[in-house]
Amino acid sequence: ENLPFFITCLVVLKIIKHYQEEGQGSEVVQGVLLGLVVEDRLEITNCFPFPQHTEDDVDFDEVQYQMEMMRSLRHVNIDHLHVGWYQSTYYGSFVSRALLDSQFSYQHAIEESVVLIYDPIKTAQGSLCLKAYRLTPKLMEICKEKDFSPEALKKACIGYEHMLEEVPIVIKNSHLINVLLLDLQEKSTVADKPELLNLSSSNHLEKSLQLLMDRVDGMSQEIVKYNTYCRNLTKQQQQKQQYLQRRQQENTQRQSRGEPPLPEEDINKMFKPPQAPPRMDTLLIAGQVNNYCQNIKAFTSQNLGKLFMAEALQGHSS
Amino acid sequence: MSRFFATGSDSESEESSSADEITPKATGTTFNKQALLLSDDEEDTKRVVRSAKDKRFEELTNIIKTIRNAMKIRDMSKCLEEFEQLYRAFLKSKTIVDKEGVPQFYIRLLADLEDYLNQLWEDKEGKKKMNKNNAKALSTLRQKIRKYNKDFETEISSYKENPEQSAEEEEKDDIGSASSSKSDDDEGVTAKSLMKKKPQEEEKKAPEASKFLKGAADEESESEGDEESEDWGSDSVDSGGESEDNEGEAASLAVVFLKKAQDGDKQPERKKDDRRKRHKKMEQVDEEADEEGEGEEGGWEKVKGGVPLVKEKPKMFAKGTEINNAVVIKKLNEILQARGKKGTDRSAQIELLHALAGISNENNLGEGILVKIKFNIIASLYDYNTNLAAFMKAEMWKKCLECIDELLDILFENSNMFIGENIAEDSENLAISDQPFRVRGCILTLVERMDEEFTKIMQNTDPHSQEYVDNLKDEGRVCGIIDRLLQYLESKGSTEEVCRVYLRRIMHTYYKFDYKAHRRSLGLQGETKSEQDQEESEGEDSAIIMDRLCKFIYAKDRTDRIRTCAILCHIYHHALHSRWYQARDLMLMSHLQDNIQHADPPVQILYNRTMVQLGICAFRRGMIKDAHNALLDIQSSGRAKELLGQGLLMRNMQERNAEQEKIEKRRQVPFHMHINLELLECVYLVSAMLLEIPYMAAHEFDARRRMISKQFHHQLRVGERQPLLGPPESMREHVVAASKAMKMGDWKTCHSFIINEKMNSKVWDLFPEAQRVREMLVRKIQEESLRTYLFTYSSVYDSISMETLSEMFELELPTVHSIISKMIINEELMASLDQPTQTVVMHRTEPTSLQNMTLQLAEKLGGLVENNERVFDLKQGVYGGYFNRDQKGGYQQKQNYQRAPDQRGGYQQKQGYQRDQKGGYQQRQNYQRGGYRNQNQSSY
Repeated sequence: ENLPFFITCLVVLKIIKHYQEEGQGSEVVQGVLLGLVVEDRLEITNCFPFPQHTEDDVDFDEVQYQMEMMRSLRHVNIDHLHVGWYQSTYYGSFVSRALLDSQFSYQHAIEESVVLIYDPIKTAQGSLCLKAYRLTPKLMEICKEKDFSPEALKKACIGYEHMLEEVPIVIKNSHLINVLLLDLQEKSTVADKPELLNLSSSNHLEKSLQLLMDRVDGMSQEIVKYNTYCRNLTKQQQQKQQYLQRRQQENTQRQSRGEPPLPEEDINKMFKPPQAPPRMDTLLIAGQVNNYCQNIKAFTSQNLGKLFMAEALQGHSS
Repeated sequence: MSRFFATGSDSESEESSSADEITPKATGTTFNKQALLLSDDEEDTKRVVRSAKDKRFEELTNIIKTIRNAMKIRDMSKCLEEFEQLYRAFLKSKTIVDKEGVPQFYIRLLADLEDYLNQLWEDKEGKKKMNKNNAKALSTLRQKIRKYNKDFETEISSYKENPEQSAEEEEKDDIGSASSSKSDDDEGVTAKSLMKKKPQEEEKKAPEASKFLKGAADEESESEGDEESEDWGSDSVDSGGESEDNEGEAASLAVVFLKKAQDGDKQPERKKDDRRKRHKKMEQVDEEADEEGEGEEGGWEKVKGGVPLVKEKPKMFAKGTEINNAVVIKKLNEILQARGKKGTDRSAQIELLHALAGISNENNLGEGILVKIKFNIIASLYDYNTNLAAFMKAEMWKKCLECIDELLDILFENSNMFIGENIAEDSENLAISDQPFRVRGCILTLVERMDEEFTKIMQNTDPHSQEYVDNLKDEGRVCGIIDRLLQYLESKGSTEEVCRVYLRRIMHTYYKFDYKAHRRSLGLQGETKSEQDQEESEGEDSAIIMDRLCKFIYAKDRTDRIRTCAILCHIYHHALHSRWYQARDLMLMSHLQDNIQHADPPVQILYNRTMVQLGICAFRRGMIKDAHNALLDIQSSGRAKELLGQGLLMRNMQERNAEQEKIEKRRQVPFHMHINLELLECVYLVSAMLLEIPYMAAHEFDARRRMISKQFHHQLRVGERQPLLGPPESMREHVVAASKAMKMGDWKTCHSFIINEKMNSKVWDLFPEAQRVREMLVRKIQEESLRTYLFTYSSVYDSISMETLSEMFELELPTVHSIISKMIINEELMASLDQPTQTVVMHRTEPTSLQNMTLQLAEKLGGLVENNERVFDLKQGVYGGYFNRDQKGGYQQKQNYQRAPDQRGGYQQKQGYQRDQKGGYQQRQNYQRGGYRNQNQSSY
């Protein structure tokens, strides 16, 4: 089902350049992907960044900017179908409400839309990290309903694993570019990439752990909220039961005395069920935590490999 | 009323300065009241029947006066209103006017008013400034008066032609009264000469005012006529009582009331006497007494305020009366009966009592009666201020001190005199006889009250004025009196009284630093001292006095309050003189900390003061931790000023109404007893720094480290928030800067921030042993910096030589050794000492930051799991996973395992804490479970 989609080298380089120029630290850069849908398959052929604007210029209109940009690009004969968007990430944190909302609106308009997540930190360590995600149909359903209550989510049978689906990416270039790349490869030397062998890991791990902890805290809070809700609910249910029982007893007594039974009252009015906390945030947090864990796992396993290698090398040399 | 109006005139200011002998009258006294007063009490003035004409004209003149006043303050709307009233009143008196002709004063007003209005009308500037109402009233009034004045054209023009003539009559009155008063005495002359100084035009301009002025002068010079002029105070023309000859000249239809001067010839002479009496009452008693016998008018001058009660002037003795005990006592009681009654002139009462004392003295009635009178004089001095918040005036206070001194003199001289509260009035023995004197009264209460008055005076004086210093000089006298009373009561009083007077003595001693004892203890005696100092050092050390007095109270006192106060003062005194251990032991033994919250606010304030002093003492002695603990409560509230009774905090009125504020104000400690708040805060912050910085360094990675001092952290944060960090200015900034340096283990910078000229002058020099304190501080800074350094940088070192450390921190090797050993023993530092090389070898068992973080994460995850299981419990009913012991044990074991490498005390403690928490939770759960079970069983 998840057909890989094609993406051109130009897009990748433009995204990287965008981050390099504007993004720093935990700041996030975003932009629009342009492309075509060819027989169920998506091809992303170009992109442009959202300009960073401060809070000072309030009258800046993003939508208008996008429209104008697309019109201009169309004039130079560039594919102008708005097929998604991209975003940079800081240590793998991107699963958030904002992402969910905007991706939903994209996918709502064009089913094939994707979000590209670019991880500059990993890329800086030597391996290009670019991932494409789409919301699962299930999640789309839920978002359409806008019902994030525990029951709805339960009914939809959705877990954090099933929120986003990753779409494989194929970077495809024109032959000319391929030739150029091959040519460049000849000239470059592998020794220019020492980052690959960097053994220090604590900095990266510490950062990841901090973020992870932050999310875990968030999760705890959500759980506490849910817990109180559950407790309140059961308490109320008990009261309701007691009330009904009493009512019934009274009615039987009345019946035996030949009196008419008490009139039925709206029981739901008397016992208003407590407001259920929306569970979407919990799901998102879980997704994010999962993400962090995957990242950390990948990172540590790589690092372990490197350490073993280093040890072996050292033992060999001595 | 006349006075009330007169105050508005310009010339009144001169007048009142010469007339300061006249006590201010109640401005609101009504005619009725005074008339009543007259008819009731005046025997020698004839009752007056007023004719209809007088009545009408009086009404008119009253209104005119109001108008003139309104003119003066440019209140046009008032003018208009009154003018309309005048118009109506004038119509009413039409018949009389027809008979008598239009009164001159009426015409005068009309003319003046018109002129005035025209003048105002032309003053464009002034009109602009007027508010809307006034401007409107002005135009209406102007039109009205124009129309109205047409009816009186001739009269007005004639008045305008010759205004002097109409003003003349007042002039004549003036002269008349002045001449009559000339014969009186010097005071009258001064008043009159003042009058004469007034320029003629002024009188013309404000003729009314001049009249009132004159009225005032009359009051001054002739106390008799005074009453009448009061009665007719609102009269436009009001001649003096004796100006009989003026009567004929009163062409202006003014109402002149003549007092029937039946004893007019006597008056001057008598008045002289009165005046003399006023000044030198004591000497004149006999003469006066004669006068009193002759006629009651003798006391006229003392009649003030015009309130009926005073009229019953307490007579001194009739001439020829044999003055003996019984008479004097009767007189005394008579005077005392007026006490506390509304309208009693309290200062007059004091005078009377003094006079009585003089009489009894002169007649040698014996000390008994004298003492009795003195008691009452002092009591009435205290009575002088009805308001509890008001403080005594300086002269009253002086008098009071003198009186008490005299009283004590008498008491000391007469050892056969018994005084006491419990001696009944009828069992008193005041006469000279074989029996000892017995007098009712309590000298102790009087002295206590005096002490309170002194406190009140100090509270109400601006502490930064010379006046405060002057007032403070009286402290010596107060102490002297208390000392004398103490001597007296030691021989005569009951233990209870002795306790009370001892407490007073203690209260005046405990907060004073005993410099001479201090110097003596330093061994400086005899070298550089002047003779006076030598003399001073003869006296007992305050420590010894305190000890003696307090111990007596501890042993004998039966009221809890006195003992509590004594203990607190004793502790304070110990602490002030750096006797830390005595002070601390006394504090601990007294168990005051447990129940001080039940004490009344003044005692609580004393307690707070004591705790602060104790803390400062601990600091001086280098017990940083104790200092911090003692000061923590006061400082952490942020209301130190309020808690120490050294000022009110600005708060909105919701929290405190005016009444409460008054009460709080009364609790304030006088300025000379204040504890320097900056010193207090500095001591607290520095002790917090010395404790907190090493602690922070040691527990850098703890997720849940507790703060030792919130206040200190707050200061640090304030410092961090500063966008631009300049060199420190205030004391707080100095401490913050020093803390930052200490964090890095840089003791030299820290030292220079804590001890420098600025801080010396602000804080450290305030200590009596400044140098010693500074030395102690340097040492502490060095030690704590060393500890901080080791905590912060131990992970960087494999080993470090102690010699290097001792050089770095300029501490001796053994000290460094001992500090490090202590740290190792307390498991604060994971290291061991290598003796032969004198180095500290680090064990490197401290978790790295990554490990720390992992531990934190594990902890958080534990919490998460727990929370999750609770949710699960609810879903599954109670028999679900959470209470599965094995599982839980397993989890905990895992936790323990995880923490195995970490053996630091802090963690263990925390674990214990957690376990406790869990226990609590379990209990609750069990309870719930029980409930559930019951339910289940019943449903089966």
